[in-house]
Amino acid sequence: MNLQRKLQQLLRSLVQPLTAVLIGLLTGAVAISIVGASVLETYKVMWDGAFGNFYFVTATLARATPIILIGLGLAIAFRAGVFNMGAEGQMVLGAVSAALAALYVPGSGIIKMLSALVAGFLAGGLWSLLAGWMETRFKVQLLISTLLLNYVAVLFAGYLVSSPFQDKSGSAALAQTHMIDQAAWLPKLFQGMSVHMGFVIAIVLAIILYIILRFTSAGYEVRMLGYNPFFAEYGGINKIKVLLFSMFFSGGIAGLAGTVEVLGSQYRYVEGSLTVPGYAWTGLMAALLANSNPLGTAVAAIMLAALQTGAMGMERNTEVPLEIASVIQGVLILFVTAKITMNWWKVKKKAGDIHGAA
Amino acid sequence: MELLDLSFFTSAIRMISPILLAALGGALCARVGIFNVGLEGLILAGAFSAIVGNYYSGSVLVAVLVGALGSVLVSLLFGLAAIRLKANPIVAGIAINFLVLGLTTFGLRAIFDVKGAFYDKNMEGLPKLDIPVIEGIPVVGKLLSGHSPLVYIAFLAGILLYIFFYRTVTGFRVLAVGKNEAAARSLGLKVTVLQYGAIVACGILCGLAGAQLSLGQVTMFTEGMTAGRGFIALVAMMLGQSHPIGIVGSSLLFGLMDALSIRLQGFSMPTQFTAMLPYIITIIAMFFLKDRGADSQLSGQQSSR
Repeated sequence: MNLQRKLQQLLRSLVQPLTAVLIGLLTGAVAISIVGASVLETYKVMWDGAFGNFYFVTATLARATPIILIGLGLAIAFRAGVFNMGAEGQMVLGAVSAALAALYVPGSGIIKMLSALVAGFLAGGLWSLLAGWMETRFKVQLLISTLLLNYVAVLFAGYLVSSPFQDKSGSAALAQTHMIDQAAWLPKLFQGMSVHMGFVIAIVLAIILYIILRFTSAGYEVRMLGYNPFFAEYGGINKIKVLLFSMFFSGGIAGLAGTVEVLGSQYRYVEGSLTVPGYAWTGLMAALLANSNPLGTAVAAIMLAALQTGAMGMERNTEVPLEIASVIQGVLILFVTAKITMNWWKVKKKAGDIHGAA
Repeated sequence: MELLDLSFFTSAIRMISPILLAALGGALCARVGIFNVGLEGLILAGAFSAIVGNYYSGSVLVAVLVGALGSVLVSLLFGLAAIRLKANPIVAGIAINFLVLGLTTFGLRAIFDVKGAFYDKNMEGLPKLDIPVIEGIPVVGKLLSGHSPLVYIAFLAGILLYIFFYRTVTGFRVLAVGKNEAAARSLGLKVTVLQYGAIVACGILCGLAGAQLSLGQVTMFTEGMTAGRGFIALVAMMLGQSHPIGIVGSSLLFGLMDALSIRLQGFSMPTQFTAMLPYIITIIAMFFLKDRGADSQLSGQQSSR
């Protein structure tokens, strides 16, 4: 009985996102037929672009890496009931701090790498903590302050790499730092493939977060604050402390997302390399899709990354434009929290009850 | 170069009109208890539809109407998700932003067969309106005259919205829905109708904001041309506590800071720091509003907690 209920619960939690995925794919199909291509064939090309061979799979996982980390960071904040919209700024500050730490901290490669990871985490975490502090101390609404701090962070990072720390050695004067010493790079998982150690870090972190949120008292406090702040306070939870901790780790992990991108794939901070692909927003969508469950967030992030790499493959091989992916993503998110399936579920349940009574 | 001269203020007025229009639309939604994060997408939809309307009709008036219509269609989709399907409005709003960004870029390829930007030299932009009497007054004339009609409509919309909220019965009902939806429903108010009405009106306002963007200064559409203006409008709305006059004030503040940041670039300051100015000033301004924060939560704005 208990197992059956658990299974039902699992099914119920899956029905919602799956319906959204279906609606998203249908909308994509409409868009594809508008440009006059074959729907099935296009989706086939898209699938191949994401998972077609080992190289494409690793490319998808490499793209998923920062998205997973951003999603995990946001999942912590969402679980605590705070709407952190500042992942982009936290990620960028983390990335630029990590690049500078890896460049200027003296020592061997491993020390450089570790100090870069710490610097990236701290930069993102402290930036996020600033917004949390303004909320708890001065009641400045976090939703707006994090949004505004994004612009400040991205512009500040842009200043750092266009003036004091710019790499002027190349022929083109790009806004970027010098290249990091090879000894400090995060190793690739497979020779010649783009997926790197950061992916392992992201997955391990997802599992750790799942365990912390699910089984520890700290995780319970965070969840309780999100479910019902008044009850949490009544139950003796220090609301301010939990909120500040959640914000610090939320931003820190977002900073880590930028850090592993720098250490594992770019090997320097290039202006726009993290903001243009929209990692922060995709990570936000992954957390929303999975309802802030850390393991689910990782799965959703890989799925969204696959949609994007698949769309790139599609654009290379067909006439269908890349933007189909953002249309599908948009529709998917639009319907993911909609209560369509709940109605369907209730109707079914009622029918079952009547059946049982008869 | 003077730091503050007349052209500084005229450029500020021009810059704030899309933000003001969208922020007023957002305020309408906030006042019926729906926090609309999708302003960015709605403006973009308006900007794109306005260009499509302009290209096919050749008439600026039709273009503006098509722009408003395009934005209304998207906002109805938002309403369907947020009201009918009870989706989380913040999630739905973020989805709308993404959807429109994809749809407009896709539309550029599907309709005009271009990538990145669309421009046609035969397209006509919004006319500049010279107001007969005011035009003649020395300083004020230069400041207030010669803007596109949508700039005047933006300020007019602020005043009209104020009258609507505080001087009409329907406006009073809208405020009631925002204060307490359940109570309003129990009194027999048609909450859902009012909510859809607010969302459609928000669509129209955002459509006009988009039309001002794509037909105002230069007549063209570029991918993602809103460049965060929807989020700035959101900030202006929250800073103005969803009060029409407050929003006019906060939009003015933002426009002035934006103009100042461009002007300061002439004074050998790194552009990144001058560009930060509007955002930092807005954050500072929020500190001074802290006491009224509790009030704004009552007015139907969703707090972060």
